[in-house]
Formats: sequence, C-alpha cells, structure tokens
Amino acid sequence: MFLQFLFISSAFLTIASAVAVLLTKNIMHSCVFLLASLIGVAGLYATLGADFVAVTQIMVYMGGVVILMLFAVMLTGGKDFISRAQNLLGLPASMGNRWTYGIGLIVGLVFLLTNIKLLMGITKSLPVKTITNEFPSTVNEIGHLLIKEHVLAFEISSVLLLGALVGAAIIARPRKQN
Amino acid sequence: MMSLASYLIISLILFVVGLVVMISRKNIVAILLGIELILNAAALNFVAYSRYVTNNLDGHIFSLFIIVVAAAEAAVGLAIVIRFFQIKETIHIDEATQLRN
Repeated sequence: MFLQFLFISSAFLTIASAVAVLLTKNIMHSCVFLLASLIGVAGLYATLGADFVAVTQIMVYMGGVVILMLFAVMLTGGKDFISRAQNLLGLPASMGNRWTYGIGLIVGLVFLLTNIKLLMGITKSLPVKTITNEFPSTVNEIGHLLIKEHVLAFEISSVLLLGALVGAAIIARPRKQN
Repeated sequence: MMSLASYLIISLILFVVGLVVMISRKNIVAILLGIELILNAAALNFVAYSRYVTNNLDGHIFSLFIIVVAAAEAAVGLAIVIRFFQIKETIHIDEATQLRN
C-alpha cells in the first residue's frame, strides 16, 4: 500500500517535472524542475528496491550536478535576457521558436509511437516472475560486485573522473589578457 | 500496477521529453538538462530490468556508472558553456558557428 503510494507520487513527480522543464520560460526554474524530476526518479529506484542507487542519485544530483548547472546559469546570464528578450512567438530567447518546437514534437511523437509498438511485443514475450515485496539491502552485494567482477570498469571510471576534472579546470580557466 | 511495463512506460515518457527538450530549446544549458533527462531514463530502465527480469545486481552497477558518466559530462559541458560565454557573451545555440576565433 505504502509502496504503491510511493510509486504513484514518484511517477507523477517525475513526469510532471520533466514536462515543466520543457515548458518553463525561465531557465533557472527549469533547473529546479529538473531537480524535482531527479528526486522522482530516486523515488522510483526506491520502489524497485535499489536503495544504494537511490541514495547515490540524490547525493550526486542534488549535491553536484544541479548546483553546477545553477552556477553555470548564474555565470552566463549576461546580455542574453536583455538583448534577445523575445523571438517570433514572443517567448524568451532560451525557449526556441515555432520551428524547433514543431520539429521536436514530430520527432517525439514518432519515437513514442514506434517504441510503444516495440513495448507491446516485449511485454508479451517476457517471463512472468513472482515478485516479493521484501527488499534486502543491496549495499553489501554491490560493494562485492564493484571490487570483484566489475573492478576494471570501476578503475576506468576513476580515470574518467580525473580526466573530466582536469579537463573542466583547463577549459574554464580565465582568458589571458593580451 | 507496479509491473515492468509501467516502469518502461515512465522511462519512455522521460526519454521523449528529454529528446524534445534537446531539440526545441535554444539555450545550451537547457540542452544539457535534456541530456540529463535522457541519461536518467536509461538508468531507470536498467534498474527495472534488473528487478523484474534478471536476478542479479548488474543493472544497479550499470546505473551507478551511468550516474558517474553523467556527472563527468555535466562538469565538462558546463566548463565549455562558461568558456563559450567568455568568448561570445551569449549562450544562444545559434551563435555557435565557428570552432576557433
């Protein structure tokens, strides 16, 4: 009962906030709606019994990615909101115009219909498993998997993070005054 | 109600919304928001399949690596956005027309 309530509220939060990201005029509000959508995804992870992934999602996205995006929005506000105040539809410049929205809606609808057609076939052919509602903790097993079977991917991801850190610091350094 | 199909439908809707955000917005930061939505849809699919189809936790591991890659991608992408703003003084995507100034 509680699980179903959590599932329904998380699904509603995820989808409604994602649509709000698409439709909001202010880019700052868009970032905050993205944060709400990611919290909804973390709730969906919790309903699937993935406790470690849910907590990691909340920590990494709330503490890292969305804060970084808010900093980027604040550092790059500038003349964009003044000189390009409106476009053809009378919307702010960050919203795109009627052509981009039309093309986006057409592509989205085609993708949605083809994937629904695919999902019909997949869900019929899957084996039906009986699911218990007991969720044992996955932290212990994930720790063993990370240092036994998936240790190569673990090390490669650490190298990737180091490279991304150094690369971001080099790219975003202040310009030389010449 | 809570079956594999419902999770797949939620993930599909999240993916399509992210795709439409990427195509239709003109702000570079908004395009990065669309990329985050798409990555989350993929990770949700992995965890759902891990619970309802297979019996191991490999889907959780893959989802964790997707979160790691998303964080690295956001760091580098936002550094590029800040650099682009230093040069062009706008983050409108139509202004990005040359590789070097």
